[in-house]
Amino acid sequence: MRNSYVIIFFLLAQGFGLNALSAQDLSATDIVRKADEKFNGEKSSYSVMSMNVIRPEWQRTIEFKSWTFGKDYALALITAPAKETGQTFLKRGSEMWSWNPSISRLIKLPPSMMSQGWMGSDYTNDDILRESSVVDDYIHEIIGEENIDSRLCYKIKMTAREDASIVWGKQIRWIDKKDFLVLKAELYDEDGFLVRTETGSDIKIMDGRAIISKIELSPEEEPENKTILEIREIKFNIPIGESYFSQQNMKRVR
Amino acid sequence: MKEEFKIAWRNLWRNRRRTIITGASIFFAVFFAVIMRSYQLGSYDNMINNLLESFTGYIQVQHIKFQDNPLIDNSFDYNDSLASAISEVDKVVSVTPHLESFTLASSGTQTKGVAIIAIDPVKEKDFSDPESKLVKYRITEEAVKRLKDAGSIPDNILEKVNENLGRSYSSPARIELELGLSDEDKERCMPEILKYTEVSNGFLTNDDEGILVSDKLASYLKVSIGDSVILMGQGYHGISATGIFPVRGIIKMPSPEIDNKLIIMTIPAAQKFFDAEGKITSLVVNLTDKSNRTIKTAKARINSLLTDNNTTAKTWYELNPIIYQQIQGDSQSGQAMLGVLYFIIFFGIFGTVLMMVSERKREFGVLVAIGMQKKKLKRIVAIEMFLLGAIGLVCGLLAGTPLILYFYYHPVVLKGELGNLMEDYGWDAVMPTAWFGPYFYWQAVIVALMVLLAILYPIRKIGKMKEIEALKG
Repeated sequence: MRNSYVIIFFLLAQGFGLNALSAQDLSATDIVRKADEKFNGEKSSYSVMSMNVIRPEWQRTIEFKSWTFGKDYALALITAPAKETGQTFLKRGSEMWSWNPSISRLIKLPPSMMSQGWMGSDYTNDDILRESSVVDDYIHEIIGEENIDSRLCYKIKMTAREDASIVWGKQIRWIDKKDFLVLKAELYDEDGFLVRTETGSDIKIMDGRAIISKIELSPEEEPENKTILEIREIKFNIPIGESYFSQQNMKRVR
Repeated sequence: MKEEFKIAWRNLWRNRRRTIITGASIFFAVFFAVIMRSYQLGSYDNMINNLLESFTGYIQVQHIKFQDNPLIDNSFDYNDSLASAISEVDKVVSVTPHLESFTLASSGTQTKGVAIIAIDPVKEKDFSDPESKLVKYRITEEAVKRLKDAGSIPDNILEKVNENLGRSYSSPARIELELGLSDEDKERCMPEILKYTEVSNGFLTNDDEGILVSDKLASYLKVSIGDSVILMGQGYHGISATGIFPVRGIIKMPSPEIDNKLIIMTIPAAQKFFDAEGKITSLVVNLTDKSNRTIKTAKARINSLLTDNNTTAKTWYELNPIIYQQIQGDSQSGQAMLGVLYFIIFFGIFGTVLMMVSERKREFGVLVAIGMQKKKLKRIVAIEMFLLGAIGLVCGLLAGTPLILYFYYHPVVLKGELGNLMEDYGWDAVMPTAWFGPYFYWQAVIVALMVLLAILYPIRKIGKMKEIEALKG
């Protein structure tokens, strides 16, 4: 009697295992890596974006260009509104610098400034500076499949590795099965409380890739606040190197 | 009655030692209680006044969201007619507009988060008067060296000066206070000390584009008058605010916490910097006194004057709930301490009364045996006790008075570790006593009650006394 239970158990276990394998040609980590590379470029990227900061009483739009190289280097140039045009921000590793043409000064942003919103948005300086890698700093696990905007998505739970120094304790990402687009992400703090939700939409073909061109960020605590990021133009793997991200270039880029 | 009084008075001085011991116990009770309470109330008053008169004000008109979220977005339009309407309100002393925010200040490689307070240099005179806080004297190593070289200052005073190395002062009086000089020394040495420690300083004009930097912040940023400080932060509705401002003056704020992070500029300059045309974050109202009634009626009046629904008047204890609760809690623990002190004193008094009754048992017995009415005897003993209480009480209060007076005008300046500790907490390291108030008269009431309680024992004892047994001793 007992033997037959064991046999049934094995059969069941094997059956499930096989099913899981066939549904999971790609591991959760592979999916996250593919989605990340697709959006950020394998090596470098150049993009023109607009950011719409929405508050209950007011809203404003900032336009900027940005260059990235790997995950350690980024440069942003504000192109609108007129009053702020020409300001540049440089990220090199864990340091962030700001150049302001109206006072002709280069300022290194101190740690106390990191939790403040970048250009008044819901993105903090820390979000931009954050070195963490969605691939290396998390443990990934597929926890289901769901439809978002009638696209079938992997629902992936990402738990922060213990040794990683990152802001989020956990993320849940919905990644499109066909094009590997992050259509939705929920970001939780270390205590497991939902802090913000990011949703991607407006899928467009740019530089030969299908990518989301609109990201909407809404913080959980202030539901009336919102930041909408729109990608106007994007190019991947452009020929720039580390030397492009210098303090001299902050003053030069146009 | 007069006769009884006379007998009681003579009785007191029949056993001088007993009377003095009992009187002394009451005297010390009153003396210590009064001094302790006076110090406690005085230092709180000092703390509150520090806070109110130069920072919070008694009442502030703010945007309703400003307290929870002190952003420049939560500001309101300022018009002179509102300010003058408020200044017409009964018991209002001054109405001062402020524009407050936080930014980053940077100079060279040093960067620090700072508090910006934008003021109207003329109106501010009636409120925090930053001009009186300008650093006028600074004890630097160089100043000490030059003082030494001048040779006219005795070594012991030079040493005292050296102990205060690195400190800066807005007035000669403060230097005198911290050096603890005698009148003679003052006359002899102060002119020399002032001469060598004096520094030049400047203030803001009405629509100045410059700033005043607090002393400790200035030394952190390594700036002095004429240098520039870069300010950067967030302006009205998220716009980025960046500017470069010349330093016009250095001010010394009494609270080190504030001294570490304050920059003062004019309102027009701040409005331009934050892109907040015509806006302020608070109207600070000072009143004649801080009694509950004054504050509440003024608040209601001011609220009825406000036309903008997004603004409201808030009292100082609504603005600083933590400090308010802390003061209340400490005051109660002070009262508990007094309670313990009184409890001990009461048993001291009661002990001497007990002793007196058993010593005089025979005497009472004889008096009653030869025909004295027990009622009369009770009265005499009661009068005795009251006289004793009154003497102790009056002496205690009289002895306390000069001390309270002296330390009211010449507060104790805490130095060394304790002084630094107080300053670290953000308090001015002086401990003045409180002016005579209800607390002073309450001591009299409490001691009178204790005496009354102590009298019950001999009166009861006399009532129950059996003459025969008493006579036998």
